[in-house]
Amino acid sequence: MSAIEIRGLSKKYGENIVLDKVNLTINKGDVVAIIGPSGTGKSTLLRSINLLEKPEEGSVIINNREISLTTKSSKEKLELRRYTEMVFQQFNLFKNRTALENVMEGLVVVKNLKKNEARELAIKHLQKVGMGDRLFHYPRHLSGGQQQRVAIARALAMDPRLLLMDEPTSALDPELVSEVLTTIRNAAKEGNTILLVTHEMNFVKNVANRILFLENGRIVADGTPKEIFDNPKNERLKEFLVKIHMLESPDFTI
Amino acid sequence: MSKIFDWQLVFTEIPALLKYLPVTLNLTVIALVIGWAVGLLIAFVKIRNIPVLRQICSLFVSIVRGTPIIVQLYLTYFGIPIALKYYNYYNGTDFNVNGVPPIIFAIVALGLNQSAFDSETIRAAIQSVEKGQVEAAKSLGMNGFQIFRRVLFPQAVTVAIPSLGNSLIGLVKGTSLAFTCSVVEITAQGKILAGSSYRYFEIYCSLALVYWVLTIFVERLFAYIEKKMSVPEQVTVLKGGAVNERN
Ligand SMILES: Nc1ncnc2c1ncn2[C@@H]1O[C@H](COP(=O)(O)OP(=O)(O)O)[C@@H](O)[C@H]1O
Ligand SMILES: [Mg+2]
Repeated sequence: MSAIEIRGLSKKYGENIVLDKVNLTINKGDVVAIIGPSGTGKSTLLRSINLLEKPEEGSVIINNREISLTTKSSKEKLELRRYTEMVFQQFNLFKNRTALENVMEGLVVVKNLKKNEARELAIKHLQKVGMGDRLFHYPRHLSGGQQQRVAIARALAMDPRLLLMDEPTSALDPELVSEVLTTIRNAAKEGNTILLVTHEMNFVKNVANRILFLENGRIVADGTPKEIFDNPKNERLKEFLVKIHMLESPDFTI
Repeated sequence: MSKIFDWQLVFTEIPALLKYLPVTLNLTVIALVIGWAVGLLIAFVKIRNIPVLRQICSLFVSIVRGTPIIVQLYLTYFGIPIALKYYNYYNGTDFNVNGVPPIIFAIVALGLNQSAFDSETIRAAIQSVEKGQVEAAKSLGMNGFQIFRRVLFPQAVTVAIPSLGNSLIGLVKGTSLAFTCSVVEITAQGKILAGSSYRYFEIYCSLALVYWVLTIFVERLFAYIEKKMSVPEQVTVLKGGAVNERN
């Protein structure tokens, strides 16, 4: 069963076509990783799904509802945003709220849960990401890895149909990357549907069950980790893998 | 020879001045509320970059900043009755131009003056909140009003409080010019008292004391609010997950 279907998503900045009629169907429970050179529209794709960018064309089918990505209706925009949650490279926690309050925020304000229900749910999610002992810490009291784990808890607490993650470990010191990757892996194991942009290729290999190679606003290759890494068919993909040392260049193989 | 400087009078005249303290406080508080409300509107217009309104607001702020407050008080004192006369003339209404209590003129002038200065503080404070947090709030599904109330406003207030406090101190002292609109507040009362006793210097010393204490109070109050609202320096790790921490 598909969790989300994206149809004909196009986005340009002036003359620069960033996304070129992208079609993508993601099945429930899938962990889909997007890889590709920088500046090819990976972030724009994620942000368009969540309407943080305004695409020129495209629509989304989610929860049996088709919503145009160019909709002017704020009701539809909010509806789409409620089905999807975003985890950002820079965490973007609310600086004036504790870890607990950050996770409760959406539950109380958007989902209208009662304070104590929201609190219980938030604590449950914070414990899952290993932050149960830092409920009353403010973002400034937390390391980058801890902030990102709170941000993941904040997103998952909203029970999204699709979790979007844009380079969630790129802003972290190297020694903090693995704690966040572990958190994402656990979220994947629990059956969350995830669309993830990342440069952590070994993580992608082990955790994603589908990989998209995006270049110049198009999905150029789409397959399982095996198909993408062990047996790449596409020339551009091969070049990219060589560049990031995931594939040995023919020049070096004797 | 009578005393050249009667220092006891400095203190004994204070109660007579304080009779008019409520007028000074009324002026201050109402002008402050107008100032913040209109200041917020101006900030909103500037942030949203609303055409026409934006230019009007910029012109207004520029004029207010570029003219002395005492001139602004005179302008409202004479301008509002003229505006009212025109209104009566064109709409066939019969508002009593002389029936407007003088304090209204002072409140309007002081409030608008305050709004012009505070609008910049408020705008800068709102824009100091990271865009990323707004995106996170959008992503959670908050609407524009919720984002303002839950994310922008609380953080902007923390940033703006010190400047708003300073500006409020300016307003407290600015109310001393309300006599230009024939309002009797503590300064005007001081002049009246001095006029009958000829003890000008003593009474101005009393006045100085009253304003000084008032200002210190405002300073302390804002320092307290600032401390209350800021994120604490340190927090402790909870033992054993401490799930049952309810408050
Ligand atoms: N606000 C913007 N204005 C103009 N061009 C932009 C803007 N944001 C992104 N772009 C352009 O869109 C392209 C794709 O950007 P992005 O989606 O961030 O790439 P990626 O995440 O794959 O590195 C880039 O060429 C970038 O320069
Ligand atoms: Mg990017």
